[in-house]
Amino acid sequence: MSLNYQLFPISKPGKGAGGKTGNWRIVKPLVHEDKCVGCKACYIWCPEGTIIIKDGKVAVDYEYCKGCGICFNVCPAKAIEMVSES
Amino acid sequence: MMEKVISGNDAVALAVKLSRVKVTGIYPITPQTYIIESLSEMKDRGELETEIIRVESEHSAMAATFGAAAAGVRAYTATASQGLLYMHEMVWWVAGSRIPVVMTVGTRAVGPPWNIWNEHTDFMSERDSGWIMAFASTPQEAMDLTITAFRITEDERVFLPMMIGMDGFILSHTKTRVYVPSQEEVDSYLPPRRQPYVLDPEDSIAMGNMFSPEDYMKLRESIHRAQIASKEVIVEAGKEYMKRVVPIGSYSTLNESYKLEDADYAVVIMGAWSLDAMQAVDELRKEGLKVGVYRVRFVRPWAEEEVVKALSDKSVLVLDRSVSFGRGGQLYTEVKASLPDTDIKGVITGLGGVSIGKNEMKVIIRKFVEKPQGIEWFYPEEARKIELRSPRYIK
Repeated sequence: MSLNYQLFPISKPGKGAGGKTGNWRIVKPLVHEDKCVGCKACYIWCPEGTIIIKDGKVAVDYEYCKGCGICFNVCPAKAIEMVSES
Repeated sequence: MMEKVISGNDAVALAVKLSRVKVTGIYPITPQTYIIESLSEMKDRGELETEIIRVESEHSAMAATFGAAAAGVRAYTATASQGLLYMHEMVWWVAGSRIPVVMTVGTRAVGPPWNIWNEHTDFMSERDSGWIMAFASTPQEAMDLTITAFRITEDERVFLPMMIGMDGFILSHTKTRVYVPSQEEVDSYLPPRRQPYVLDPEDSIAMGNMFSPEDYMKLRESIHRAQIASKEVIVEAGKEYMKRVVPIGSYSTLNESYKLEDADYAVVIMGAWSLDAMQAVDELRKEGLKVGVYRVRFVRPWAEEEVVKALSDKSVLVLDRSVSFGRGGQLYTEVKASLPDTDIKGVITGLGGVSIGKNEMKVIIRKFVEKPQGIEWFYPEEARKIELRSPRYIK
């Protein structure tokens, strides 16, 4: 007997399992690299894991960043600015 | 195998021990409490390998049991009545998760008014949850079904939890002869634990997370199809049980037929009082009435094919010890759906511990032969020919 009908409610963790959430954004974080001190506070606080660390500085994965602004709020160097998407 | 004189609760506790259950989340409620007391006493004497988790509610009892089962071990719990209702959310969660778990429901009325006596409404109210649901008619059968439940639920064609109903007090507390299998016999019968996935920190998964509506619906269909597929698994497991463990059951079919071959009338019934119905049928046959009993053992999956084959040429009486208010007994509606062209009468009785025995059954059956349709509430005063007392709680 085929067991094709047996389906189970689990998923493996993976990037973007819920779709590309970047298009939910109405404001986006802009990182001013000259001000970034590389403390990684935004990396720790980002609830979506969309902060990328690159050469000791940070960048944002805009395909999945929902624009919540937590990084902007926690940045001690004021290196992140929130700008309108439109 | 050895003979013992034990209660249904004792029989179930022994079945749990013999099935090498690894974890049980427990919370007491009459009439099943003695199961978990018995397990705790066995643990205290060093006879039980089961880890016992004492929790603060039935919801947590099922949550703890489910957590252990999800982590990959055989897990069991027991409850009844208000406890089962409080557990209701987790009951659905376990079935939707497709994790094998086994539970005993020592059936009992649901309040208010407060009532600890037997009826089946608590058990029947879980029939849409996705669990496989069997109902015992003797302490022996409660034991047999508990052991077979582990084999059924852990089969890859099924992967669903299973609850076993057992009439409160009538089975749970009444001692009868039970053939208790040896550990070797049960070990030869139960394969190692199998389940569809395991909660494992080394191989992370998200369990029961948000799915799209389309995927959700496919998962619901999967539960339905696993229920249907479980019919052949149950029969296989039952036959194998009679071959390897206790050879006296009637498990080569989902349900049981008694003196139905030449019968004009059939009594459909479930649980301990099935045996009263069989005695009534024996006596009515001596008076020339061709009547038999069809005992429902499995509510889910529903044995549609067996029901149609056994009952389609008979006039059918369904006795329900439970009620779906505004519709009738649940078994009545199930049987009616399977036999749309048959005259069926539904009788609701025995609720809240109302005592129905052989003599009451004979009265019910005779009345049914006179008028084999409709839904009726039967009170035993009718059979005992005593005047109805005005209940003090009604004006």
